[in-house]
Amino acid sequence: MLELRDLQKAFGGRPALHGLSLEVRAGEIFGLLGHNGAGKSTSLGVLLGQVFPDKGEAFIDGVSVQRERARALARTGAIFEAPRFYDYLSGWRNLQIYTSYSARVPKEKIAEAVETVGLTERIHDRVGTYSQGMRQRLGLAQALLPENNLLLLDEPTNGLDPEGIHEMRTLIQRLNRERGITVLFCSHLLVEVEQLCDHVVILNQGYKVFDGPWAKLAVEECRVRLDLDDWEKAAVILRAMPDVTLSEGGFVAMKNGTDTADLVATLVHGGVRVRAVEPQRRNLEEIYLSITHREISPPVAS
Amino acid sequence: MRLFFLQFQGEMWKLFARKRTYLGFGVFLALELVILLIIQLPKVQRAWRHVMENAGYGFEEYFSGITLAFQVVYLSTALLGGLYAALVAGDIVAKEVEDGTLRMALCRPISRLRLLAVKFLVCVFYTFALTFFIGLSALAVGIARQGIGGFFVFQPMDKLFAVYQFGPGLVRYLGSLFPLALSVLSVTSLAFMLSCCNVKPAAATISTLSYFIADMIFRRIPYFEPITQWFITTHTESWYNALRSPLPWQTMAEDYTYLLALDATFVLVGAVIFSSRDFKS
Repeated sequence: MLELRDLQKAFGGRPALHGLSLEVRAGEIFGLLGHNGAGKSTSLGVLLGQVFPDKGEAFIDGVSVQRERARALARTGAIFEAPRFYDYLSGWRNLQIYTSYSARVPKEKIAEAVETVGLTERIHDRVGTYSQGMRQRLGLAQALLPENNLLLLDEPTNGLDPEGIHEMRTLIQRLNRERGITVLFCSHLLVEVEQLCDHVVILNQGYKVFDGPWAKLAVEECRVRLDLDDWEKAAVILRAMPDVTLSEGGFVAMKNGTDTADLVATLVHGGVRVRAVEPQRRNLEEIYLSITHREISPPVAS
Repeated sequence: MRLFFLQFQGEMWKLFARKRTYLGFGVFLALELVILLIIQLPKVQRAWRHVMENAGYGFEEYFSGITLAFQVVYLSTALLGGLYAALVAGDIVAKEVEDGTLRMALCRPISRLRLLAVKFLVCVFYTFALTFFIGLSALAVGIARQGIGGFFVFQPMDKLFAVYQFGPGLVRYLGSLFPLALSVLSVTSLAFMLSCCNVKPAAATISTLSYFIADMIFRRIPYFEPITQWFITTHTESWYNALRSPLPWQTMAEDYTYLLALDATFVLVGAVIFSSRDFKS
């Protein structure tokens, strides 16, 4: 559905993307996660043909954005952090103007999109009188028109209150479920990405530092808290295990693939009595920070 | 083509929904009334009577609505000239970049060149609408105040003198509005080009006006007389040649070919700059 191939971009000599490649499959909600300045918006800009890459190419449905932008974006909608509208015009006029840049869209289609985002009652009011939540919903309505099957959403819940965030998230999930719309969701909010996305790419300083299903990220490193009778003996045994790290407070971190049962068996076999094993789920921030604070290395493969 | 018309219609909605669009119309109307009031002062009228009677024409017949209308247009365009055209054209791209609405538009499959073409067309429309409004409102106000009569064209600074009966005079007057609009279009084109660069909207407008004012000042310095053809305002002032008798076709054709080529260059440079820019928040 969507592919970035070896994208490189620098602004004024400062690199923003280092050979970024990723692939989004049709019908997926794909998360692009990273701090501010990690390269998310630049990637989106390249995908929309608004930023010219120094190297590499972006494809939508197999069509190159850099070579055939109009054809590639024919069924793509996007919104940015705070969707910008002509405040002095009504929501309806704004939709008419923006959709005219794509195709001739019948009034019924516009009305349908407005209803989908729940803005029917206020659509003929001036956008200047809209709340942030209403602007976001209007942004989503324009991104859905004329009949888009790919949504590129850059921090779409920015500035929304908790209720608005929940509404927006539900709406995105519904669009994906009911209409099969593919979503590329950029955010720096881990919780949002966790709740929405099937697959996630984490960017750090323009490098891709993680690419995989969300579940893989969550279990990449698991921790257990051990209650043992002889810690000195246990430390010697654990240090000999390659994928296990001992830390303070009785915590043991195990790399993905190491089984807790094997760990316990090894300890018991070494003469250590194991009184209790308590699995510890690291919170998302810890996982994210551990990934983004690793030494930057060339992009990882999926 | 139908899509292009839709896009043009959208740009027109944007243009006429903004207060600054009407500013030019309002200010020119007010200025016309002020100039008319000044021309009505007894001292000024005596001077006009003196000029007309010395030239052998009756003051009662030639101090008419159309004579006043020309004076109003001549003075008001010289005073405010392309200010409002520059305001709109300088704003049309740069303001949308600043507001972020252009980035929203560029999420759509419309090409940058097409978007610019629509926007420039709207600027052309505005330039012609404003110029014809100035000319026609001046004529309406002039006739309402002074009635119908002969057309006495007199501007000593530009060595302009011609006399017409009302009918042929009206044709000449209305005919001069088209080249006047083309002259103002040069201001529009320069402001549009600057608006395509990475600048604030006010910077595009102010830079355009500064250039034209400087051009006008330099052109009037005697040392620059031999190179007067190099100044844009030498050519933009050609519009009132449409009132000379006989009509200097060749001079006007040369001036407007020069100006149209210049406009095309400005728009082309603007388009190249706009097409090669990165748009990012």
